[in-house]
Amino acid sequence: MVDVVLRQFDRATLIAFGCIVLLLLIGALAEPAFLSPKYLIQQIHVASFLGVVATGVMLIILLGHIDLSIPWTIAVGGMMATGAAGILGPELGVTFAIPFGILCGAAIGAINGLGVAYLRAPAMIFTLGMNAVAQGLMVYHTGGFAPQNRATEFMRELAVGHLIPGVPNPVLIWIVLGAVTMFMLNRTTLGRQIYAIGNQERAVFLSGVDTRRVILICFVISGACAAATGVLLAGWANRSYQAMGDPYLLPTIAAIILGGTNVLGGRGKYIGTVAGVILITILQSMLSVVQPQRYFAQLGLDMPADVFRQIVFGLVIVAMLLLYGRQKLVR
Amino acid sequence: MTASGSAPLLRMSGITKHYGGVRALENVHFEATRGTIHALLGENGAGKSTLIKVLSGVVQPDAGTIELDGSPVQFANPTEANDAGIACIFQELSLLPDLTVADNICITRPPRRFGLIDFRAQRRIAEEALARVGGEGIHPSATVRELPLSRRQMVEIAKALARNPKILILDEATSALTAADVEKVFVMLHKLREEGMAIIYISHRMHEIAELADVCTVYRNGRKVETFDAGTRSDNAIVEMMIGREYESVFPPKAAKNDDVAPVLKVRDFSWQGELNGIDLDIRPGEIVGLGGLDGQGQRQLLLGLFGTLIGTTGTVEIAGNPVKLSSPKRAKSDAIGMALIPEDRKAEGLMLPMTVRENLSFAAVEKVSRGGVVDLKAEEAAIDEMVELLKIKADGIDGPVASLSGGNQQKVVIGKWLMTKPRIILLNDPTRGIDVGTKQEIYQLLQRLAAEGAAILFYSTDYDELIGCCDRVLVMYSGAVVRTLSGQQLTETNLVSAALNLPAGTDQAALAAQAREAAT
Repeated sequence: MVDVVLRQFDRATLIAFGCIVLLLLIGALAEPAFLSPKYLIQQIHVASFLGVVATGVMLIILLGHIDLSIPWTIAVGGMMATGAAGILGPELGVTFAIPFGILCGAAIGAINGLGVAYLRAPAMIFTLGMNAVAQGLMVYHTGGFAPQNRATEFMRELAVGHLIPGVPNPVLIWIVLGAVTMFMLNRTTLGRQIYAIGNQERAVFLSGVDTRRVILICFVISGACAAATGVLLAGWANRSYQAMGDPYLLPTIAAIILGGTNVLGGRGKYIGTVAGVILITILQSMLSVVQPQRYFAQLGLDMPADVFRQIVFGLVIVAMLLLYGRQKLVR
Repeated sequence: MTASGSAPLLRMSGITKHYGGVRALENVHFEATRGTIHALLGENGAGKSTLIKVLSGVVQPDAGTIELDGSPVQFANPTEANDAGIACIFQELSLLPDLTVADNICITRPPRRFGLIDFRAQRRIAEEALARVGGEGIHPSATVRELPLSRRQMVEIAKALARNPKILILDEATSALTAADVEKVFVMLHKLREEGMAIIYISHRMHEIAELADVCTVYRNGRKVETFDAGTRSDNAIVEMMIGREYESVFPPKAAKNDDVAPVLKVRDFSWQGELNGIDLDIRPGEIVGLGGLDGQGQRQLLLGLFGTLIGTTGTVEIAGNPVKLSSPKRAKSDAIGMALIPEDRKAEGLMLPMTVRENLSFAAVEKVSRGGVVDLKAEEAAIDEMVELLKIKADGIDGPVASLSGGNQQKVVIGKWLMTKPRIILLNDPTRGIDVGTKQEIYQLLQRLAAEGAAILFYSTDYDELIGCCDRVLVMYSGAVVRTLSGQQLTETNLVSAALNLPAGTDQAALAAQAREAAT
């Protein structure tokens, strides 16, 4: 049992966890509050939103594909959940707000899956197209009539409440989702097939596996996970809005890759994605708390805080990827 | 033929190479002389390939010296070896599939004019090189991807020759070629030998070596066993040197067959897009049926079609008397049908190379050791261990990536992966290509044993000896149809070749009559 646990920690995962510790220590030099439990719990709370969407996208990357439709799938999840009362009627809408939001995300995932697996469209362009379609539909949804954008009481409780004292609910959701995903990847036939398809799809097909079905399932999961993040975000902000998913595309993919998942598919551990998600979240938080642009302003390099944050964030991700070195070639 | 009097062109002495703790070469000496063909023999992992890699600059030896024309040389990379006149043709094709034949032939040194590639000169060079290998039929502006495997190999040889090497190395370069192309290559090699080139030749096909080689050197476990003039040792003696143990017969005896059993696989009028034309086929349990004929006559399509990978096949297929529709490999694998296909290209179609031997072995049968989609790790491990034992897979690396195994062991993993599904119909697509003699023999024994246990086996091979030695019946295919069935006493190399060329039956009799006349005079 011990070695099964240890096997989850490959080199990339260790580097990612090392970077987290390093970041916290550097941050603590500037601001000791970074090591306080309150701050850390708050970070994990924020990270859990990214963690849920990254869980689904990781499956897609393991297959050797990509899901670029997540920004607006997140928005669809949030907006459909908050708008459910308007669409399904006040009674049904409040009860089924959350399943309805997630179902809409899963539907987008299903279309992605059908396009990539059955129509053999390249995932990069197909999912990007679906992102635009989802955006259009949401603009239509809000433009045609005044939608309800308030989160229900239950959504709010789910996003900010504490079922277990000290542990925010989204963290709990992420832990459960993560445990199920790890079990699925390591112990089930579906998990085996996901890794195998990422390595050599032809061999998997010739081994008598319905590869198209596996790809479809993964896209549905990815869409559902993104929509679930949208539901949580809507509960957290107490409302849904357009473009609520836009800041999530780069962090999601970066977190998965920093966690050691091979961008071409076939290799990667879920625990690495967990590390990547926490790392990205802490990095973003520090860049906004420490405000390093003030130091640079003294050097004459004056730019707005968010511009500076974006540049540093992008550079740090590129630098970290270089740190991992190139993947070893396998014949 | 051996020019033993003249000084060797190449002398490698005391070459030693270790990979980690594994000894690949130990104090090996090797000499090659101008105008000779030197065959290297040995099982996979005997050190032949490492020796070639040292010579061509791919790996650096731990110890030892290389002398070329009497002066010591060192190759830091393949380009340096190339510049010194050493050209290598590997078993795995090194062509870029989306470039043209001419582009590929001139890829290292394209002819230039005003700093741009001179396409006219490049085309001329390509035409000359192709003519030299007897591949005039290949168009220099054809895209490599469009060429069949055997044509590509000819391009590969032309590419090596375009650099005018002093030493030409062929590492299993003929394993993908059809018999007619092999003949052409042999004619070319004989010509190059006359021109004074030193040729180093690696092949697992004994009759090729008998036909070509002037000198042979046998390796085993990273050491040289013996160098001797060709024709001075019997095939059996050579094989014994290679495997280091007593060598009975390559092919195990065929079991007696029972013709009364109903066929488990019954195929009628099986056709596909003009590439398969009305094929009828019956295989009984316990029978090994071979597919013969020239390369590319629809044998592969037949196997793929039966396994459900081709869309739009027509005709009927009955499994144990029940008509079935073979629509996908998943269906073909199901318990109702119980079919397995050992594919041709083990790296792209048989294995997930970066994954472990264990994961690969249990992959096709993973449903059998799972309940509700959850894998029972204990049952899985037991089944894997049983298969590792049965196939004698070198067990030190079963938790490592399958890519690190030798070709023979990789092929065993592919076979083992399918045996774990307990199939009753086994289709094999050239399963012994590029595999050492010891592993081949193990595979032959395995086939006989599976047949004895009641499996029906359909077996395509490009090696006629194999068809004769293993099969109860051989269906010879020509242009997508079965043109003749050979069995028993009829199953001879002559009959296989003449049937493969689809000579009318009369030609056989004429040839027999000619033979009879010869015998009489």
